[in-house]
This record gives sequence, C-alpha cells and structure tokens, in this order.
Amino acid sequence: MITLYDFELSGNCYKLRLLMSILGVSYDIVPVDFFPGREHKSDWFLCLNPFGQLPVLTDGDLVLSDSGAILAYLAKKYDPTGQWFPDDPSVTAEILRWHAVADDITSTSSAARLALGYDYNFDVEATQKGAHRIFRIMDEHLWFGERDGRDWLCSPAHPTTADIACFPYVMLSEEGGISRQDYPALRRWTDRVRRIPGFVVMSGIFPAGKALETA
Amino acid sequence: MPLSLTDPHWYPIASSDDLPFRHVYQGQLLGRELAVWRADDGNVNVWENRCLHRGVRLSIGINEGQELKCQYHGWRYANRSAGCTYIPAHPADAPARRIENRKYPVREAFGLVWSAANAELPFAPFPGAEAADWIALRPMPVNAAPEDVAAALARLAPDDQPAEMLSELVVRLAPVTWFVQPVDSTRAVIRGLHAGRPEAPLTVLRHYNEMLTRLRDRLERAAARKPQPAPLQPVFEQVSVDLATMPDIAVPRGNTIPVVVKRKWQSADAIMGFELAARDGHLPTFQPGAHIDVHLPNGMTRQYSITNGPGELLSYVIGVKQESTSTGGSQVLVERVREGDVLAISEPRNNFPLRRDATRTVLIAGGIGITPLLSMARFLDKSGLPYELHYFTRLGEQVAFRSELEVLHGRVEFHTGLPREASSARIAEILGEYSFAQHVYVCGPASMLETVRATAAARNWPDEAVHFEYFKNDKIIDNSTAFDVELARSAMTLHVPAGKTILEAMRQAGLSVPSSCEQGACGTCLCGVIEGEVDHQDVYLNESEKRANTAILTCVSRAKGDRLVLDI
Repeated sequence: MITLYDFELSGNCYKLRLLMSILGVSYDIVPVDFFPGREHKSDWFLCLNPFGQLPVLTDGDLVLSDSGAILAYLAKKYDPTGQWFPDDPSVTAEILRWHAVADDITSTSSAARLALGYDYNFDVEATQKGAHRIFRIMDEHLWFGERDGRDWLCSPAHPTTADIACFPYVMLSEEGGISRQDYPALRRWTDRVRRIPGFVVMSGIFPAGKALETA
Repeated sequence: MPLSLTDPHWYPIASSDDLPFRHVYQGQLLGRELAVWRADDGNVNVWENRCLHRGVRLSIGINEGQELKCQYHGWRYANRSAGCTYIPAHPADAPARRIENRKYPVREAFGLVWSAANAELPFAPFPGAEAADWIALRPMPVNAAPEDVAAALARLAPDDQPAEMLSELVVRLAPVTWFVQPVDSTRAVIRGLHAGRPEAPLTVLRHYNEMLTRLRDRLERAAARKPQPAPLQPVFEQVSVDLATMPDIAVPRGNTIPVVVKRKWQSADAIMGFELAARDGHLPTFQPGAHIDVHLPNGMTRQYSITNGPGELLSYVIGVKQESTSTGGSQVLVERVREGDVLAISEPRNNFPLRRDATRTVLIAGGIGITPLLSMARFLDKSGLPYELHYFTRLGEQVAFRSELEVLHGRVEFHTGLPREASSARIAEILGEYSFAQHVYVCGPASMLETVRATAAARNWPDEAVHFEYFKNDKIIDNSTAFDVELARSAMTLHVPAGKTILEAMRQAGLSVPSSCEQGACGTCLCGVIEGEVDHQDVYLNESEKRANTAILTCVSRAKGDRLVLDI
C-alpha cells in the first residue's frame, strides 16, 4: 500500500497526487502540517526524511523522498504503458534535465510564493527574477516545439514526468507575484497539461476547458 | 511622445498562432490587460481582462467555444457581444441583457491580431501590407519603454541601408517589418512580419529569435540604468451593483432591430424555419429560452423562441408553425414573408430561464415547442452539462430541426405518435421521483403542459422545479367585472369597467406601460400587488405565485373584489 506524506498546498506533493491520479494508483494520505506547524522539521518526520522536505512516499517498506525521484519511481513501477518515464536513454536524459529545471522552478517561483504567502524569509525580487529567467527559456523551448509539432517538454509525442514535475509551480507563479503574460507558449502548454485524462486540481490550479473535438 | 491611454492607433496584440481554439490568451495594450480568445466560429474577441463580477481575470477563464466562463463564480459571457448570459444562483437565474463586458476593436490580418484602445480610427493595413505573404516571427517581450525599443530596432539597420520608419512604432528593415506593441510605459512586445515564404522557415525563425534575444538583453540592461516612467493607469470600470445583483426579469420593450430574412425553409411538415440575420454586425446577446417579438407586415406582433446555441449572434433562427386555424400571425410569416425581406424584431427577452446548477435537467418538447428547448440543449451541450431532451410529435408530424438535434451529445429521444394515455405514462416515467436540484423544462401544447405539471406535482416535484412558457393563453377571459385600481406609486385611482383591461385603463390615463402578448402569456406587463385579491386569468404565473397574490398580469387579470392596489 502506498502512503503519501502530504501538505495539500505544496506543489511538490501535488505532483505525486497528479501522477497517481493519472495512473489510477490508489494511496493513503498522511497530512503533514508544513505551514504554519513546520511539522516537516519535527523529529518523527526527520526519521522518515532526514532532509526535512516534503513529500515522502512509502510503498510497503520502501521510503522515498524527493518529488522528482518519486515521480520516476511511480512511473517505472505503475505505468504499464511505459510512456511517463520511457526507457530510451536519450529520453531519460531529457526527462532528468527537466526534473532539474523543476527544482530550479521550486527554488525561484515557489520560493517567491513562500515569501509572499507563507512568511518565508527569501529575497522576493531575486526569486522572481530567477523564475522569469527560467520561464523565458521554457517559453522559447515550447514555442519552437509547437513549430516542430512537439506539444510537451521532451521529444516523445506524449507527456512525461518532466511535464508533471515542471507544471505546478509554473501554474502557481502568480501567487509569487510572477505574471505569465509574457509567456504565451508556456500558457498554452499548461492548457495541455490540464487536459491530460486523470488531471486533478489543487488550490490555485484549476481545470482547463474541454478541447475542441475535431471530427 | 508619451504613451496615451486614449491613443486610437491600431497595434498588433498577438499572433494568430497565439489563439488556438479553447484557449484564452492574456494580452496587454497601453496598460490595459486584455483577455483574447477565439470562438469556435473563428471570431476573435478582445475584452477587458476582468470578470464584471469580482474583477477576477478572464484570462484564467474557460473558453467553451461560444462563451467564456469565469473560473471563479461561473459568470458567462457570449462570443461577439461580451454580453453576460448567466449568473449562477441568481434569484432570477438570468441576468439582464445589458450587462456587457468591455470590448475592444479587433482585426485579424497578416498573421497578427490587431486592436486599439478605442474605435475612433478604422483599421488600416500598414504600408505595403498587401504586397507580400507574411509569416509572423516569434514575439519578443521586452522590459523597456516602447519608443526606446523602436529606436533600437531602427539602429539595427546597416549604415548604407537605413531603416524605414513607417510610423513611430513601426520600423521596416527589409525583409522584416517590425511592430512595437506598447504594452505599458516600460514594457513592449516586438512583433516581426517576414515577407515571403522562406524555404527553411524554422531556420529563419530561429535566426530572428536569436537576434531579438540579444537586442532584448541590451535594451533591458540600458532600461535598468534609466529612470523608469510611471506605468499607465487604466481605470477598470466595474458594473454597477444594481445591475449585477438584481436585473429585471422582463425588460420593457425597447427599440426594434431590423433583420433580414436570410433563409426560409421547410423544417418539418407544417413547420417553417426562418433565419433572421443582423444587417450590420451582430444581434444582441440572448439567454437559452429567450424569445423575440417579430413585428409582422400586417401590424401584428408574435413571439418566437430563439433556437440558437451560445454565442451565435450573427443571426437568430426561429421555427414557425403553419396553423390552419391561425389568427393571421404565423400565417403571414409563412405565406407572405420571403427571403431578403426586412422585418423588425424586439431585443430578446427571457421568461424561461435555464438553471445550470441542476444535477438533472429534463427538457420535454411537444411539436413546435422544441424551439426554446433546442436552444437550452445547445447551451447545456456546449458546457458539457448532462441533460435529456424528449421530443414528442404526433403521427404524421415530422421532427423539426432534426439535423440540429442529431449533433447534440446529450440524451435525445424522439417519441412519435403516442396516444394521449401512453404519452402521460411516458412522461411519468421520464420524470421519475423528484429529488433535490432536478429541473424540468417543458414547452408544447397546453394539454401537454398540463400533463407535465400534474404528473410532476403527483410525484412531489415542487413548482420551482417545473419550468414552462406559454406563448398562448387558451383560456376564455372573463372581463365582465368592474372595479377600481389604485396605482400606489403614480398616486392615481382608475376605474376599470367591464370589457376593458387594467392595462387599457392605465394607457388611457396616459401611463406608459410595457406589454407584449396582451393575452396573459408572456409576463411583460407583470406588476406588483399591494392590496386586494387578484382574479388571475393568465397562464404565466404558476399556482404558488398565483396563490401568493403578490403579482398580476395587467393585460388579462382582474380584481375579485371592488378594489386593487398596484405597485406602479
């Protein structure tokens, strides 16, 4: 049985809820009071994850941390189609590259959000600037991708865990005072992610309308 | 020259590629934020990026193809008109027609979408626009003053071939014409149009993207060293509270609108379809279930439901029944009105509002009664809400608007030639036992309405869950009584003699009172009752409304006693 140690307003926890929903994996939730309780720094939690970070996922006796690593684990283990984390070495490298970008988005866009909404002591201006730098690159990557007939961050013709990993804190950027107005291709990509069958919402991340059905 | 909020010039605000179907693009021009979306009919809408309700951004709304729905509170706005078509949980379930979001002029041309802060100037193509095919380059947002951006673009020209300044913010450096979109006083978007179709378009697109990236970095470094001008301060005008909270259910008859009979066709045995097109631009927003008054060449006025789906405002389609016993209204339309004729119609009015918060919506139509329910089904269909449509026709009577019904995704059932008892039994089956948040809408012959109302009541459906609209009052009006009406707000007392209606008495006394059908069916002349007992003779109010004795239709109903006090 899978158990997710979860904070509902955490984008990193949401990544796992999102992928498990898409894959149809059932799981239990143990709520962790990240804010304001700082329960992720409590003794019992540090025994689970000495890094003191959410999310943590247990699958039987296995204890896993780091959202990107857990995404890869879930996809490898529970995705019979093999699409979400393909075995192709070059695609694996692409996905891991974007998992690293997802961490950069967490340290910028998410940090700005924590500073503005959760009283965290981060340099708001620096984190916002950092987020804009990443979003510019992503928008360019996605814009040229659309010209090439590529809808997702990585080269396969379907989404991968890279799209799940980068999605939440892009969507939540406005909570950190980071507008997405200058990134139209990035905004179109978020529509596509929100139309993946099995998509679930979290506070601040809402569904997209239905795509136009073409006969 | 400093940027101005009222600058009437047209600027590109998006690329055509930025507007795929079912997406809402977030744009900005001269400080004003824009929600830009393409409807399923291809029309591009450029609106103020704020929902009139609470000012939530519409760019995070849902583009449903014909309507844009606000993500937070579900207010809906129609393609083309930006008219609000729905306010959830509203007491009347339907907004007044005149709640409209702010729109900006729009033109799609040369691979770009153009708009202006106001409609003072007509759209004019840039010099040489027609001479070439254009491909739009990747737009480049820059955090720098628009005039600095234009000047920097001009400086890209080689010395021996200076840039051509087509206007203050348009620079031609062949083969590319550069447009600077003034987003705000310190922000701009560079949009380039490349003339001709290059052999390797992607290489060209990448080349200019790299060039613009370098230019942007330079411009932003320079801008950071300069004092920043203050941002433009557009005013976001919110809709007034009275409009947003308590619209009238019956909007008094206003001016008429001329329409052209674009198409007239036989939709079924004895049912003619008419497509009435706007002569210029689009027709007003309407809600599902709404009807128009059609002014006929013989001076009569008749009500017909609009069958259109959401956001279809270029023409209204109505269905007209050819009746052998017709008193002349529909007969004139069927026999004398031809394609190309001009008719006058009223603005749409809605006495048959559709709720969109039901857990189960049942639409029951009989014969020509399909028309308002077709519109409702189309709205529910587009919103992806579940519904079932049951269409009863007599033997030999064909199904009208069949092709329109067949493309719907909901449950659509045809019941043909059932005898009366079998119809009643079928209706009882369809309705089932009432449970919370179920709603039934019925339109058809009076006998069918009575069957549905009686069946629903027997199965514990409350009056509020049974919705119907009469176009015709078949009852025989008893106007033999005489009584006085006191008009409380007008401070006058009138005598209503036998043979005359309250409405006629009020008009004779010089009051201007709205009315439409004048047979107790449409609700236009509805008026509040303060004192006295009403002799209801209309078919508009339902039983509980009649028992409440708080409203009267002044065109047919009368006083039971010798005195009535009306709130007028």
